[in-house]
Amino acid sequence: MANTLATLTSSSIKMFVRNRQAVFFTLFVPIVIMTIFGLIGFDTEPKIKVGLVVDSPTPATAEFLTQLKKVPAFDITTGPEATERNALDDGDRTVVLLVPDDLIPTGPVQNPRSLTVLQNTGQLQQAQTASSVLQQILDQTILAVAQAPPLFRLDVQAVNSRNLKYIDFLLPGIVALAVMQMAVFSVSFLFVDYKERGILKRLVATPMKPYQFVSANVITRLIVAVVQAAILIAVGVFAFKAHVIGSLWLLLPAVILGGIMFLGLGFAISGLAKTVDAVPAIANLIVFPMLFLGGTFFPTDTMPGWLQNIVQYLPLTYLSHSLREVMTQGSGWAAIQHDLLWMGLWSIVLVFLANLTFGFEEKRV
Amino acid sequence: MSDLITVTNLTKRYGDFTAVDGISFSVHRGETFGILGPNGAGKTTTLEMIEGLKSITAGEVVLDGLSVKNRPRDVKHRIGVQLQASSFFDGLNLKELVETFASLYGRKVDAMQLLRQVQLEDKWKSRVKELSGGQKQRLSIAVALVNDPLAVFLDEPTTGLDPQARRNLWDLIENIKAKGKTVILTTHYMEEAEVLCDRVAIMDHAHIIALGTPQELLKQSDVGSTIEFRANRRPPTEIIQQLPAVQQMDAEDHGFKLLTIDPEKTLPALFAVEAQHGFKIFDLQLRQATLEDVFLKLTGRKLRE
Repeated sequence: MANTLATLTSSSIKMFVRNRQAVFFTLFVPIVIMTIFGLIGFDTEPKIKVGLVVDSPTPATAEFLTQLKKVPAFDITTGPEATERNALDDGDRTVVLLVPDDLIPTGPVQNPRSLTVLQNTGQLQQAQTASSVLQQILDQTILAVAQAPPLFRLDVQAVNSRNLKYIDFLLPGIVALAVMQMAVFSVSFLFVDYKERGILKRLVATPMKPYQFVSANVITRLIVAVVQAAILIAVGVFAFKAHVIGSLWLLLPAVILGGIMFLGLGFAISGLAKTVDAVPAIANLIVFPMLFLGGTFFPTDTMPGWLQNIVQYLPLTYLSHSLREVMTQGSGWAAIQHDLLWMGLWSIVLVFLANLTFGFEEKRV
Repeated sequence: MSDLITVTNLTKRYGDFTAVDGISFSVHRGETFGILGPNGAGKTTTLEMIEGLKSITAGEVVLDGLSVKNRPRDVKHRIGVQLQASSFFDGLNLKELVETFASLYGRKVDAMQLLRQVQLEDKWKSRVKELSGGQKQRLSIAVALVNDPLAVFLDEPTTGLDPQARRNLWDLIENIKAKGKTVILTTHYMEEAEVLCDRVAIMDHAHIIALGTPQELLKQSDVGSTIEFRANRRPPTEIIQQLPAVQQMDAEDHGFKLLTIDPEKTLPALFAVEAQHGFKIFDLQLRQATLEDVFLKLTGRKLRE
């Protein structure tokens, strides 16, 4: 009865689209999350805060300080030694430089002056960056003062390289997250509600086969998942200037497989939950940890090893990883095969679980 | 084959609890068959076993020659069902809802015509949640008719409706019957069973305790009607006691209470005595026996307690 499935699917699509709550969670919430995390701007590296202590520099030293102030990575504050030391103690400076007035000699040197660098040990990495930049500027200044011809020149050319910004990393994660939330929550809430209100029982009173009704709802949500992914990617690219370089067609199997996997989870949950009130509790228990660990907001490789060992097997990790491979790396089929295979396995497990827990009739003696 | 449904030793057990205990009856084609009884008697369970919604523990149900146990899907094609407190999808309007249900039977229907039949034509654009209780029940009957069924099962169709909505629904059920469909309904309203049903099965504690036309049930159980009146002066009590069909008489001063098995015979005779003996009857009241009395007599309990 192909007619039955077609009519049921079209009814099911109508119901989904007319449900404002569903549309809200399917599109609006992911966009809000994208906006918030996009605005935080993890991209702009914090400047190195440099405290400068100097009295009345000689012209040569002043020239050195001018050079120093041109370094874009430095945020320079000048003040008396006591104030700057305090600021360093409070963690408000990365380094404090005690500059002797006659640091840069104008004539031959008998007694080289030293520039003291006080480092914030809490920000050692940045402090060391500061020191090496300082050393470099000092060297250049000395060469300039000595009027020695440079032995070589550093030729810097601007190349429009593919700079991965945070939004580029975030966008595939948001798409994966959105597909998961939509699939899990829309199905689990709806079917527990249908069960509670006797709608499923009313359907059993017709000659329809339960798989037809389930299929109509699954097809509806797979279509929604694809449309949802397309809209979110479009918003990411046009509103947040995200870069997507891979083939969009390759995203299709990942989104659909991810959809099937999470729909299986949604049906399993609707089988476990006895009432609508129990749905968010059970669903969030499973979904919430994945939301943070599944590679949505942070790369999983920054996690401790033992955690990575667990996290790499989460359903959401495979989905966000495969989407990210294609969208940010432009990877091909070969790079996501492994993810797709695992999503396939998860789908089988979750659909099997759903078959155990979920039924149209009350699982009563 | 004049019987559409034959139920034989039908039993439903949940663990130690027996909800339906070996009941047998048959439903004729084209009749309206009522199952009457208090809450928890097993009416709904019986209905849902016949509809193929609940598994049958023991016994058999044959509908239009098909065993419900062996061919539930074929049976479902032949029946229309209204469940107790049924609800429907929120996201569809009434027309879409009727069409969606028709598709479950692999059919296309004229949804507007069905909605017209239940007086919901004007409401076709509404959602279910915008309907009143009576309108919801009428919709649910329209949905039960999408497959042009042989039999329509209505589980307490009028429970919770106001008197007007109830009468409205009775008319609708009469119309369905007039179209030649067999109607099987459960109710705990005696009045409803008496008005609508050709035959009634009275159920209590998982058993059928009586079955027949309402008239037969009244006659069988021997419950009479009551005639009460007062007289302006004391009439001849010994004559009144001898009036046809009177079983018992209570007399106090000028007030009389007669228990009769056939008021149609008693009343004319009473008026004849009045004319003959020159007393005047006033405050005459006739309370005819109802299935309520039959139930009370059979079980010693009131139906709705």
